[in-house]
Amino acid sequence: MAANLNGANGRGDDAFTVKAGLAQMLKGGVIMDVTTAAEARIAEEAGAVAVMALERIPSDIRKMGGVARMSNPEMIKEIQAAVTIPVMAKARIGHIVECQILEALGVDYVDESEVLTPADDQFHVQKSGFTIPFVCGCRNLGEALRRIAEGAAMIRTKGEAGTGDIVEAVKHIRTVNAEIARAKSALDQGGDLAISALARELGCDAGLLRRTAELGRLPVVNFAAGGVATPADAALMMHLGCDGVFVGSGIFKDAETPEHAAKRARAIVKATHNWNQPTALIEAAIEHGVAMKGISNAGLKPEEKMAGRGW
Amino acid sequence: MRDMAPVTVGVLALQGGVGEHIALLKKAATHIASSHGTTTSSPKGGIIEFNFVEVRTAEQLARTDALIIPGGESTTMAIVARRLGLLDPLRHFVKVDHKPVWGTCAGLVMLAEEASATKQGGQELVGGLDVRVLRNRYGTQIQSFVAELDLPFLGDGEKPFRGVFIRAPVVEEIMSRSAAGESDHVAEPAANGNSNNTTEPVQVLGVFRKPGATGEPDEDVVAVRQRNVFGTSFHPELTDDIRIHTWWLGQVLAAVRHGDLVVSKTE
Repeated sequence: MAANLNGANGRGDDAFTVKAGLAQMLKGGVIMDVTTAAEARIAEEAGAVAVMALERIPSDIRKMGGVARMSNPEMIKEIQAAVTIPVMAKARIGHIVECQILEALGVDYVDESEVLTPADDQFHVQKSGFTIPFVCGCRNLGEALRRIAEGAAMIRTKGEAGTGDIVEAVKHIRTVNAEIARAKSALDQGGDLAISALARELGCDAGLLRRTAELGRLPVVNFAAGGVATPADAALMMHLGCDGVFVGSGIFKDAETPEHAAKRARAIVKATHNWNQPTALIEAAIEHGVAMKGISNAGLKPEEKMAGRGW
Repeated sequence: MRDMAPVTVGVLALQGGVGEHIALLKKAATHIASSHGTTTSSPKGGIIEFNFVEVRTAEQLARTDALIIPGGESTTMAIVARRLGLLDPLRHFVKVDHKPVWGTCAGLVMLAEEASATKQGGQELVGGLDVRVLRNRYGTQIQSFVAELDLPFLGDGEKPFRGVFIRAPVVEEIMSRSAAGESDHVAEPAANGNSNNTTEPVQVLGVFRKPGATGEPDEDVVAVRQRNVFGTSFHPELTDDIRIHTWWLGQVLAAVRHGDLVVSKTE
């Protein structure tokens, strides 16, 4: 799988090698949403490979409504000062200037995220022009490859953030996997002509689709995100072929104490590393304790869903 | 001479760039077998074969003859290794058994006796290299880069190696032996006070000179070796250049030929 990601083929690719390379170094790890320096420290001590700095966790964004924007730089700076692991931050879809601010702040990765209110209903950010790498969400292969064509160096499922319901993230990774299988068989049976036809259908670049078919996986690292609430959820997403896991609201939402949040964080890290070890998963489930209450995805109205933002 | 079992080369698979290393190891082994067949001959004259495996447990480590600790997040690796009870077996592997080990980036941090710019409260290390590394030497991801390195150990006349530096650490100090012994704060009693080697010095195998810089202070040590332990700040596994993997497998084979490394029975 990731073995096929080797490929700094020349100078022109160096910038992308460095961007995608950081994501490769995060594989097998958990990236946690944090809103304060104290939460960032809990995440770091639990073994998170990176933190996502944001003002409100997705479940609270959902509850409070209003326009969700890039976080206050002051808060991001405090989190950067508190930890030595990479710090990521979210920008609104299409908000070039928020991305420039985050780049100037020196965060390690920008998430152009549907969890925030989109700033542009036509275009995502042209990411290849930035020095800072980007991660973007997807629901299917076409969407993933459109983001990669724009310069994204890491992909994640969109899932349905802030719900604690894993069903949408499962749907998105299964869709990506099924479409990669289709691309492989198209390449095997019909060569370039079949790849071109499928690229038209999926709305993506034919060259990237061919590369994906050859690799048998996305050409960049692909994490799970959106609804991961328990250690078993994290392990399920690893089982389905994700390279690692973002946990948004699942660590700190409804946690009784910081100690409880720390236990949850440790348990999800453990489950992600040992996703195919039932004994470790039992221990992780016990350590995790009570999960966030959550909202069933099936009960959400279409306008309440975040995954539909972006295209 | 005993029969030659395959040499089992492991990649520590707690987190990070595991598959990338295994892919390049396989390419390097194919290269060795095809172009330098004679160098892989065992004491009995047969070809030595490699077996590449992911290592997640102490049991798997015990069946491993040589190990790569890949890039990733060294804080995470240390925490996960501690929880899995792997830190002491790793220290034994490196500092008591003296088996060949190579760390890239986070792996170099893990193999240092000391690290600075660690998380609050410090981080646990495996050790083995009498050096202090400085984490995130160049800053955050914005400062990550690719640079051409002259690496004399690859041989005369070799073209520069494209070093991929991602939030990379560097060796900021090579410690004197007594200092290393006293400051060995990371090890458990079994391995404590026992830095890798009391006779063999740390060799600098590669430096990075910032463009335009000439003086010593502008040089960073980015590749070191001490006895069985090799470390690089950069990520050869993120390139398709097999030269360092080929060189390192050659070192492993030399250790087998010289009897320094007794290959474990796999099955």
